[in-house]
Amino acid sequence: MRAYWAMLLAGFRRQATYRLAAVSGLATNAFFGVVRTAIFLALYREQALVGGLDVRDALTYVWVLEALFGVIFVTWIWETAESVRSGDFVVELLRPGDPYLRLLVFDLGRTLNLLAVRAVPALWLASLLLPLRLPASAGGLALLAASGVLAAVVGFQLRFLYCAAAFWTPDYRAVWMLALPLIWLASGFMIPVEYFPAPLRLLAEAGPLSALLTAPVRVATGRAAGAALLVQLTWVALLGAVGRLVLTVASRRLVVHGG
Amino acid sequence: MAEGLLVYLRLAAAAVRANARRPVFLAARTLASGTIVAAEVAGMVLLLDRFGTVGGWRAAEVVLLAGLAFASQGLALTLGTRLEADDLSLLVRKGTFDQVLTRPVSPLGWIVASYVDTRYLGRLLAGVGAVVWAGARAGVEWTPGRVGLAALAVTCAAAIVFGVLLLSAAFTFLTVQGSEATNVLVYGGTYLTSYPMQIYGSALRLLFLWVVPLGLAIYVPALGVLGRQGPPGVPASLAWLTAPAAAAFLAAGGLAWRGGVRRYVGAGS
Repeated sequence: MRAYWAMLLAGFRRQATYRLAAVSGLATNAFFGVVRTAIFLALYREQALVGGLDVRDALTYVWVLEALFGVIFVTWIWETAESVRSGDFVVELLRPGDPYLRLLVFDLGRTLNLLAVRAVPALWLASLLLPLRLPASAGGLALLAASGVLAAVVGFQLRFLYCAAAFWTPDYRAVWMLALPLIWLASGFMIPVEYFPAPLRLLAEAGPLSALLTAPVRVATGRAAGAALLVQLTWVALLGAVGRLVLTVASRRLVVHGG
Repeated sequence: MAEGLLVYLRLAAAAVRANARRPVFLAARTLASGTIVAAEVAGMVLLLDRFGTVGGWRAAEVVLLAGLAFASQGLALTLGTRLEADDLSLLVRKGTFDQVLTRPVSPLGWIVASYVDTRYLGRLLAGVGAVVWAGARAGVEWTPGRVGLAALAVTCAAAIVFGVLLLSAAFTFLTVQGSEATNVLVYGGTYLTSYPMQIYGSALRLLFLWVVPLGLAIYVPALGVLGRQGPPGVPASLAWLTAPAAAAFLAAGGLAWRGGVRRYVGAGS
């Protein structure tokens, strides 16, 4: 247990060294956030309620998106895949303990740092300037924080599954690039899934991608917050089981070239 | 001069051949660089399907803007993707750029020609496809003048994006590490100009019309294509300024690049 805690802290500290990246990441989030805010303000000039969301919900969506973007689409997305390709991954399998859990807590350490230095300031600043719909009570804020952490965990679990493609093909990036536009749209990172036509919306809400952004936004706005958290917990359990299964099967395939 | 140009064409041909060694991978990457446009357009159409209009513009008209913006981004990245902070920083840190400086070619010409990335042509084509689709939906009659305006928009906006890449490269030479924040102008600029300029506040409008003139290159010609008048201060007749403004911005980028190369001291590799 202590080993995993140490891994979590190590991940947190490692991410803390990238200060310039944190600042430029915040600048990027601020820019896109401002542009998206302008777009939604213009859109809601003509309508009051669309897909069950009013302008405050939409602005909350915008800034939760900007807060979580760097936490979900992390810069080290290919690390596991590259270590599989180079053969370094074999070291992970030699270490004592559970490799999946170890990778998970190290990754979580890094994303927790991003949540602290990027997500919290972005959302806090936006809430000072714009009429966002955020929880007012300490309990509500705690639930929002929990939802952000769960989103980060699901983010790792999905990344891990994508990286697992490297066990089967060295062209794993092609798989990702073809899937990315669909993921971008279906996860609600382009527009809220609430605006999708009913069948597409049901599909998007039923999939694991809804745990990344749709659920935290709902916890933030307090609309079906409990259900959203439950969905996230379910996906953490399911994706964890699938991830472990894939790792077991893939480990038998790992070929270490030379050495 | 003609002989000099031949060198760059050969370098570019070699880059294209190298990419084509893995045809399936190249096809997948080209397709992927285009499908991101399709996904963005799909998102826009879904959004405006619910809202009707944004700033008085219908879905097809907004998609036309986005198509022009993505086409120009694709064109600029085909030539200049290596100038992005990540890639150029690697060339500097590995010492590759030191070697480039010893060669009897222009360093910029060498980088552009040697790293031509044809997969971004997928984005250019997808952008053009979006323009054609949106034009049909918006009832645009493609007279030679309107086709000319659209072509002007794509080339001028591509020149501006390339100018941004040059500025970003100069910054990378000074700091070695570079900053991802410069990508905001490349990708954020495309995103911003995908919506009509009148929805933005005066600061953003000023910045993207007169400082980084992407709005002048995309929005203003699009007004002409769509037969719209535009808000006060930004009439469709401003299109005559598009080419000079893009040229001036590109020249500023070129000066920054030269300044960056002059101050370049390598990374000790």
